Amino acid sequence: MIIMSMSVNILRLWVLAALLTMATVLSACGPGQPPERARPQGPPPADADVSRMPPGQQGGVFFGTLGGMPRTLNPLQAGEDASSAMALSRLLEGLTRFDSAREEVVPGLAKSWDVGADQKTFTFHLRRGVQWSDGHPFTADDVVFTFQAIYDDRYPNRQKSELSVNGKPFEVEKIDDYTVRFRTADIYAPFLLYVGTSIMPRHKLIQAFDDGSLMRAWSVRDAQFTPEKIVSTGPLILERFRPAERIVYAANPHYYRIDSAGQRLPYIDRFIERIVNGQQASTLAFAYGQSDYENVEVRNVGWVKRNAERHGFTVYDRGPSQSTNFIWFNQNPGSNARGEPYVEPYKLAWFKDSRFRQAISYGIDREGIVQGVLLGRGLPLWGPVSPANRSWYNPDVQRYPFDPQRARALLREAGFTWDAAGKLHDRDGHAVAFSLSTNEDNEVRQAIGLVFIENMKQLGIDVRLQPLDFNTFVGKVMSSFDYEAGLLGLTGSWDPQGGWSVYHSAGRLHMWSPGQKTPQTPWEARIDELMQLQLRTLDVEARRRYVFEVQDILAREQPLIYTVTVNSYEGLQNRWRNLDPPQMGTLVWNYDEMWAETLLLR
Amino acid sequence: MKALIIKRLLILIPMLLVVSLMVSLLMSLAPGDPVSQFEMMPDVDAEYLQRLRQEFGLDQPWYMQYFHWLGQVLPFSYHPDAASFWQRFDFRPNFGFSYYYRTEVWDLLVQRMPATILLSLTSLVLAWVIAIPLGVLAAIYKDSIFDRISQMLAYAALSIPEFFLALLALVFAAKTGWFPIGGFTSVEHDFLSPWGRFLDIAHHLLLPTIVLGIGGVAGVMRIMRANFLDNIRSEYVVTARAKGLAEGAVMFRHVFRNAINPLITAAGFAFSSILSGALLVEIVMNYPGIGQLVYNALLQQDAFVVQASVLMSVIMLMIGNLLADIALAMNDPRIRYD
Repeated sequence: MIIMSMSVNILRLWVLAALLTMATVLSACGPGQPPERARPQGPPPADADVSRMPPGQQGGVFFGTLGGMPRTLNPLQAGEDASSAMALSRLLEGLTRFDSAREEVVPGLAKSWDVGADQKTFTFHLRRGVQWSDGHPFTADDVVFTFQAIYDDRYPNRQKSELSVNGKPFEVEKIDDYTVRFRTADIYAPFLLYVGTSIMPRHKLIQAFDDGSLMRAWSVRDAQFTPEKIVSTGPLILERFRPAERIVYAANPHYYRIDSAGQRLPYIDRFIERIVNGQQASTLAFAYGQSDYENVEVRNVGWVKRNAERHGFTVYDRGPSQSTNFIWFNQNPGSNARGEPYVEPYKLAWFKDSRFRQAISYGIDREGIVQGVLLGRGLPLWGPVSPANRSWYNPDVQRYPFDPQRARALLREAGFTWDAAGKLHDRDGHAVAFSLSTNEDNEVRQAIGLVFIENMKQLGIDVRLQPLDFNTFVGKVMSSFDYEAGLLGLTGSWDPQGGWSVYHSAGRLHMWSPGQKTPQTPWEARIDELMQLQLRTLDVEARRRYVFEVQDILAREQPLIYTVTVNSYEGLQNRWRNLDPPQMGTLVWNYDEMWAETLLLR
Repeated sequence: MKALIIKRLLILIPMLLVVSLMVSLLMSLAPGDPVSQFEMMPDVDAEYLQRLRQEFGLDQPWYMQYFHWLGQVLPFSYHPDAASFWQRFDFRPNFGFSYYYRTEVWDLLVQRMPATILLSLTSLVLAWVIAIPLGVLAAIYKDSIFDRISQMLAYAALSIPEFFLALLALVFAAKTGWFPIGGFTSVEHDFLSPWGRFLDIAHHLLLPTIVLGIGGVAGVMRIMRANFLDNIRSEYVVTARAKGLAEGAVMFRHVFRNAINPLITAAGFAFSSILSGALLVEIVMNYPGIGQLVYNALLQQDAFVVQASVLMSVIMLMIGNLLADIALAMNDPRIRYD
């Protein structure tokens, strides 16, 4: 009995203690807010860039989410994944910038440039008075250093190939502290776009460059423990980096852009990006009013919209996205290590026949996919460039509207016949059947595959869907060529040169038969020629003609049978002003010019 | 005792070698490699991919990669040309290089360790502090209504999977709004006073601690109860009672000390799971610890991060057992390791 009463007393004490702790913890958790950031009132740089948007009001915090943790802030490596590239783009600027709303290259850290008579010499005049976020002046030395690092053989990086012509690096020469001259080995159409690569701070990175440790600089460890060493020229500076939790950026007091009233941009005090586990968690946070911006996937649009009024945001239908989805046949003529052909020879004969591919294209009910799979939130796609890309989309390529009659006529013309059960056979009596491989982690793609199977049944063709692990799929498509047909999507880039590896017969992503030594067909040879021509002219009209012809040929020959593009939806809290929505790309691309009517989210 | 410690540490070496070899083999069996994820990016050129594979040694067979890794692994490193004497010793263990983060694996582990250790410790403390008194009471008042209910709850707690409890906790947090929905600190954490930060972390820790602790409560309580019952029936209890000792003294001075022995072994095991035990809860509750790091490393085929975490678990298990054996000898004079 003594024990019982003793333990009851202990128990009482415990409950009391637990309640007390809970009460204090709960009371301490009212919505706190970051302190306002004091801004230095020093004069803006002599050559400050003046925003064309109307002046706004300083202050406030932009809350964003990242669906994955940045792997590094190293300028030579961050381009490899979306989260890291996004983080770095907030910090480092290039000589030129891409104005998404007007789809043109505009001055960045360089205030202007002259193009030489040979069209291969570009002289950049840097903005005077621009400083790194630690106050160190930005000069031509930083530019020369950046390109030196990119071309250094010790530091392999992804930018190098875009910043080379025929494998030759640009010649970069400092004329004086504020003038840099570039020479390219040949005329290079996307020069002004690509030269806008992030300029690195020489004064911070030269030591790592010299002792060979540049690849390890600005890692997530540095970001966490010494964020002040990661200096910037962009709108923001890195204030705090908490791995797998969040990144806190503050306004860069030395940013070179101002508004027409002379206020230094950005208007926001801070930009806080929470790192969450995947896209779904990110969308959830936005839908419940915990973040300012979200790229909403098509399948989530419906329910997210229902929360819009309650949490004060709007979901914008941004029209077709840059994503594409296509089906293609393996046309690789070679054989594997055991001497077996990659594709059964009789099947290869079908796949190589353009009439067969066109018939398949006529047999696909794209409108059905848009309505059935995307619930109307998409568009049929006829070529490699999505209509989102206003500058380079060719609207007049051949189209293949759903027409089984037409498909049958083409198949008959190519020597195919149907048996009594309605199954398609080729000239030698082989039943027409193939497997369609795709990566299992993409729901939309699998649904497209299922519609495709149904469509093909109407033509008497048996298709088997084979969902694979992403790496296995990549291995089959890129190296072992052990597949018959594939279903994949790629996200296009704005500049046509971004599609080189798909269009050119020697390209790595020339899906149907990559890495050819010499083009297999006359039309592939013509595409190669056109891709070369478009690269060697600075005349935008001429370039557009070449690129349009590439799209024409691809639509006619159907090596890649494009299906649909999904629409893009973006959600934004209603408190933001100075939006400048572009046709293509994110709504908040100009977050440095945006300001908030109410300073806090909640 | 010394002999025991030396022997255990020596056994650790072949064990780590075998385990790391197995991990390397298993990781190499997965399709693709860490560079595969770049293959479908149109603007990455082939030469660069090849260069990356070369840099990482991915173009070599798995056992060559293993030996290469083995050559790098050191408990500490020595830099003979450093300026001062102390700077020559770098006591950060080298666990190799992460393909994904392009930095030392050890740095990544250090980043995530505090959060994971904190969560493991709080849940261990919670489990033991609740479970031991409950187990003792259940044994003393065997077959009472209290015993029945606590037994039933313990079975229930043992049979609910951790990840499911974690999901329930998230739903609870979302519905009531009393607790944050996952995470370790809140957005405004960095701008709070030190006391505010402490409370902020405590607020975030509460739910994961309970989720992780519940399973522990049930397990420890059942062991405690069973052992206590075994000992209550033994003859020395009759002797002690016959001597006229107070019931409280019998129970706590004699029975309790005898009954706690198996729990010391259990504590050794608990120690070994301090770094890895919270894996599922961390993933479900978006808790920025080692579990999340390792899970992502598995998805990204970041072999050396996986390798390091497995090796750390092995080392922790061995040390945990060793500590348990030592503690056992200290608690029970009958146990000797000579």
